[in-house]
Amino acid sequence: MWSVVKSVLAALLGVQNDRQRQQDFSNGKPVAFIITAVVVTMMFVLLLAGIAIYAAG
Amino acid sequence: MAPKLPPQHSLQHSSSAVAGGQSQEGQSHYPHAAQPKGLMRWLLTTNHKEIGSLYLIFSLTMFFVGGIFALVVRAELFQPGLQLVEPEFFNQMTTMHGLIMVFAAVMPAFTGLANWMIPLQIGAPDMALPRLNNFSFWLLPVAFTLLLSTLFMPGGGPNFGWTFYAPLSTTYAPASTTFFILALHMAGISSILGAINIIATILNMRAPGMRMMDMPLFVWTWLITAFLLIAVMPVLAGVITMMLMDINFGTSFFDAAGGGDPVLFQHLFWFFGHPEVYIMILPAFGIVSAIIPTFARKPLFGYASMVYATGAIALLSFLVWAHHMFIVGLPLTAELFFMYSTMLIAVPTGVKVFNWVTTLFRGSISFEPPMLFALAFVVLFTIGGFSGLMLAIAPADFQYHDTYFVVAHFHYVLVPGAIFAIMAGVYYWLPKWTGHYPNERLAQCHFWCSIIGVNLTFFPMHFAGLAGMPRRIPDYALQFADFNLLSSIGAFFFGASQLLFVLVVVLCVRGGQKAPAKAWEGAVDLEWSVPSPAPLHTFETPPVFHRAQSHD
Amino acid sequence: MRLPWQWLLTITSVASLSQAHASSWNMPVGVTDTSRNIFGLHMTIFWVCVVIGVIVFGVMFYSLFRYRHSKGAKAARFHEHTSVEVLWTAIPILILVGMAVPATATLKNMYDASEADLDIMITGQQWRWRYEYLGEDIAYTSNLSTTREQIRGESERDEHYLLDVDEPLVLPINRKVRFLMTSDDVIHSWWVPELAVKQDTIPGFINENWVQINEPGIYRGQCAELCGVNHGFMPIVVHAMEEAEFETWLEERKEAAEQEAMGVDREWAIEELMARGEEVYQSICSSCHQGEGQGAPPAFPALAGNEQLINELDWHLDRVINGVSGAAMPAFRNTLNPVEIAAVVTYTRNAWGNETGDTVQPATVAERIAQ
Repeated sequence: MWSVVKSVLAALLGVQNDRQRQQDFSNGKPVAFIITAVVVTMMFVLLLAGIAIYAAG
Repeated sequence: MAPKLPPQHSLQHSSSAVAGGQSQEGQSHYPHAAQPKGLMRWLLTTNHKEIGSLYLIFSLTMFFVGGIFALVVRAELFQPGLQLVEPEFFNQMTTMHGLIMVFAAVMPAFTGLANWMIPLQIGAPDMALPRLNNFSFWLLPVAFTLLLSTLFMPGGGPNFGWTFYAPLSTTYAPASTTFFILALHMAGISSILGAINIIATILNMRAPGMRMMDMPLFVWTWLITAFLLIAVMPVLAGVITMMLMDINFGTSFFDAAGGGDPVLFQHLFWFFGHPEVYIMILPAFGIVSAIIPTFARKPLFGYASMVYATGAIALLSFLVWAHHMFIVGLPLTAELFFMYSTMLIAVPTGVKVFNWVTTLFRGSISFEPPMLFALAFVVLFTIGGFSGLMLAIAPADFQYHDTYFVVAHFHYVLVPGAIFAIMAGVYYWLPKWTGHYPNERLAQCHFWCSIIGVNLTFFPMHFAGLAGMPRRIPDYALQFADFNLLSSIGAFFFGASQLLFVLVVVLCVRGGQKAPAKAWEGAVDLEWSVPSPAPLHTFETPPVFHRAQSHD
Repeated sequence: MRLPWQWLLTITSVASLSQAHASSWNMPVGVTDTSRNIFGLHMTIFWVCVVIGVIVFGVMFYSLFRYRHSKGAKAARFHEHTSVEVLWTAIPILILVGMAVPATATLKNMYDASEADLDIMITGQQWRWRYEYLGEDIAYTSNLSTTREQIRGESERDEHYLLDVDEPLVLPINRKVRFLMTSDDVIHSWWVPELAVKQDTIPGFINENWVQINEPGIYRGQCAELCGVNHGFMPIVVHAMEEAEFETWLEERKEAAEQEAMGVDREWAIEELMARGEEVYQSICSSCHQGEGQGAPPAFPALAGNEQLINELDWHLDRVINGVSGAAMPAFRNTLNPVEIAAVVTYTRNAWGNETGDTVQPATVAERIAQ
């Protein structure tokens, strides 16, 4: 689970190494990645919205 | 973009297909007894190579049609005053230029390349849904004949810009708008069907031994693009259906007088429109990521990062749409949100550029025509990215918005971006399609003319925009005259030099230096294991994919 | 050998041409604090891009030159380096955060339209601007004043070609002016670069913006959002005055408006109406119905020789006052005053061979509007 989250976060940055990728693609289930990615994206939206609301004062 | 017609299938041809595990047995299983000849062959074809060629020829034709519209615009803008066309027709030309280039030139070109190359790159015999493939192509000529015919209708064709903001495109639109909506619906259906087909092919038909992580980046980027298409084309369909209702059935989605909201249109349009931008650039990333390692003779730097970054860009592309709407009066919080998200999407895009440059570092680089275009892509796309970064700064966008600065920006990412990548791809794969190398001298000439033309056309637009020239105007104040003069000269030069491209392609189809199966020294992907030209049917027996061909 | 020299000559002559009448190649610094802030942001992000560009393209062209296959370069095999990748992801993020902070501050300031000294309603109409000084009883429209002959190249183009209007928006300097912006038909966008104000005007909705000008002067802009056939022909001119001068102007305007209001009650002679009507026609109507009333069918019907217009005075008045729903003809009920409507109707009924001999009195029009 943690490794899936880590990979998704790495994707968000756009950086990933080959070893981790090998592992993702041989062990991970795609559904887990997709769900995690969508959840992480939503959290990212909330975070960004939070910052925007804070900055707007 | 007009590759040689793949040879009609015959026993000789397929028996020459040595690689990819083709066996003697494979040949006797052709399902078609007698192929239709002439026009019917093309109407009924279900072969991915033939359909790919049709897409590419269609796209090239539309590229010239859209280009002529652009030249009408540039001719009128050659100097101040109204000389050649009336403002009404001018607006139709700007609108049609945009619509044709986006929906009929760039998108079908990528679909054509996908049709040709995805089965070859993953070792599949054809697309997963060949009949659907035929249908999704033949929708396009119908759709765009209908769209172009609106120019001859009473009241003229669409004149409200390719973004067709309501209520200009509803209450105040010409009568032909309903036809425009139907044409766009058909093009949208074609895109969705194409995308479904590509996803089905990639997920189900990879050669034994090829895992997702072994796929070339062109396949990866197309997979993600296809999901984007399926996600956003229905939004476009929705918004044009709402327009249809407003125009013909008395609803008021976009009419404040009836309780609607014109800004709602823009939200819906750009929720489609921004991912659409990435639909037009992600496959280009894939092509460039194939070409640069080939001619640098060095594996792509950061393949894993590239795949992940493409995924990230796809997801982020749904979160930035309102940066096209910074001046419609969004609440402050929304402005900030979209400014931040837009700035962040620059990061994974920048990472890709860094990766290409690092791939070049300590390579062994040669400069064949595909490489020239790919390198120009990296430089000029990055310049477009820089102006994109500037546009992301919301306060500054209050000055940039709807000026020629924006026109310069998106032309830099689309012309030397998407279109140069398509041309790079065509030069790269022409030997595979036709069995001949493109004429190098002519191709180089085409390259240098294009480079000069594109920069002469679009670079001065930055200055015109900063100095205050709004877009979509048929006549302008005198201080913009010099920039427009240069742009117009550049546009005609660029337009004329594309005739060279046609010449190169036609010559290459007819003959030229023979290409071996592996046409480029540094090429590694699976398509280079089938003979050049690729026979009509390839990989009928799945090839065995060797790990050595993968990207590690 | 002469060819390159000819090219050089052309290029230099184009360059000198630019210097002759190009005000700038860059965004104007402008005359408000906001425009200066925006200019600062613009230049900062521009130089950031230049620096990144120099580094990236520098490495790229160095590699292209240094590692040529033709010079026998041997390719290395490396294809990954996680720490380098993390570094070149982190640095842009830091730069962007650095940009976001001042951008946010500027944006917050731009959104704060509170405590304004003067409110002005700006209404976009195909294809003119209407300015209303709220609480001052002053309202007028501002139309392109560049002549058709200039646009068609039949006469010399003047310095402010396409950027001149009959009535500029007059504003005081050093006072916070709030704009309330809307539109009567399609979306327009009111933009004056030197004020750094660009805001869409949206039918049925009101947008807010504000400006505080530091220097008196004349500032020019254009509609920035495609709004139909004459989108390129609806400029904006702002005349910024010293405060005292502005007060005088305001008084004069009010007096003139009162004069006009009194004019409604008196009887007008046909010559007076015709003279006034021609002015109104040329500034308001001629962009669609053309200078000689010949129109541009099918969108813009001809007025000269129009049977229905000649025979049905009532119908004619109704069209001008209430507009035509679903067509380009707007309602002029609120845009023009009764004197102007009476004059322009009289004019169109007696010009270009439409010899009805009718005169329409302002009082009649006022009555119709009141109904």
